[in-house]
Amino acid sequence: MLPPPLAHRQFTLRHHDGDTRTVYCTEQEVFFPDGHLIVSRTDLAGRITHANDAFVHMSGYCAEELIGAPHHILRHPDMPAAAFADLWTTLQAKKKWHGYVKNLRKDGAYYWVYATAVPNIRNGIVSGYTSVRRKPSRSKINEMSALYAQMLRLQEARQ
Amino acid sequence: MKLNFLVAPDFAPEHFGGWHMLNTLLQSRTGLHIHLLTPASAQEQTDLLARTAVDVIYANPFDAASLMSAQGFHALAAPVGKPDEMVIAAAADSAIQRLEDLRPGARIALTDNRDVKLIGLRLMEAADLTETDVQWLAVDTYQAAARLAMKGEVDASFFMAETYHSLSKTTRSQLRPIIQSAISTITHVLLIHERALSQRDALRSTLTALARQPEDQEVLDALGIPGGFAPMTQDEADFMVDLMDTLLD
Repeated sequence: MLPPPLAHRQFTLRHHDGDTRTVYCTEQEVFFPDGHLIVSRTDLAGRITHANDAFVHMSGYCAEELIGAPHHILRHPDMPAAAFADLWTTLQAKKKWHGYVKNLRKDGAYYWVYATAVPNIRNGIVSGYTSVRRKPSRSKINEMSALYAQMLRLQEARQ
Repeated sequence: MKLNFLVAPDFAPEHFGGWHMLNTLLQSRTGLHIHLLTPASAQEQTDLLARTAVDVIYANPFDAASLMSAQGFHALAAPVGKPDEMVIAAAADSAIQRLEDLRPGARIALTDNRDVKLIGLRLMEAADLTETDVQWLAVDTYQAAARLAMKGEVDASFFMAETYHSLSKTTRSQLRPIIQSAISTITHVLLIHERALSQRDALRSTLTALARQPEDQEVLDALGIPGGFAPMTQDEADFMVDLMDTLLD
């Protein structure tokens, strides 16, 4: 990810797989397209195996960059770690997870989604995960922005 | 061998004849005796499935999930370039210009089509509307849903996109779509029951060959599936079932 030409914040993210990356965030929001769903699948390690056109469009990456990349390529530093911990705990229990997520685009802008992730269970065995993102309402975005900011403050105070 | 072939009642009326044409063609090419079942409603489909040994079904994606997981059906084929989309429309002169103009208490007319309702509910989340916020008005036909919206007797109506776009020009001029889904990965599917699996290859190859033979285009056009059918693997079907699962709540 390259530093964007707009005013931006810089963060170093450490992911659960040990990966460390520097990301840049602008305050530019890209709005979820009406009527669409963002769909992706990952393998058990969280690497993207399928991305639909809406995902490619909204992420700002090309399909070739997304396939094989870890799903946390979209991780926005304004998201508290607890949200993703809850996601993985739920999926590993073979259950469905819902949540509001602020995602980071390649260009540093962001977009909000209402995400649902399910384990792909084939003959009783989890073979990967499917995630579908829907358009969230503005009131939910406002509510979750405030909640996540509060969770981040608590997270930083503990560190 | 005799097979019962059920077609879900989710197509515009002008395509009714197309299913009979397809059935005639399938019988002549496979040598199978195929009895076509065309229930008029989702309830009639459920009743038929309960009392008849349905061997092949053209099912909406909502039903396909339970048919595969609990009723012994397997993936056979899927239409090409014919995703299941829906439209929410209001009267052209209504104050409701966009989804966010619908408020709790809104009256919405809809036909008995579960995947249309499910997708519509997911779209309405963006306007903070849930199922219990809406006064639903069940109607028998999509023409009735159009009439109620045109007269302002409901705030909006739900339609399958295919049926909305098949409304007459005059009717459509009195309506305004406030949103149309663009999901593209959810489609009706052809499924075959495990008792008839020995016929899967013959049916699949006949269905998928249709789009390659110019003389069959008339049948595909009559079905409203001009792109024909493609084989559907079990993995593809399972993926769609997972996708539908994410939309249930």
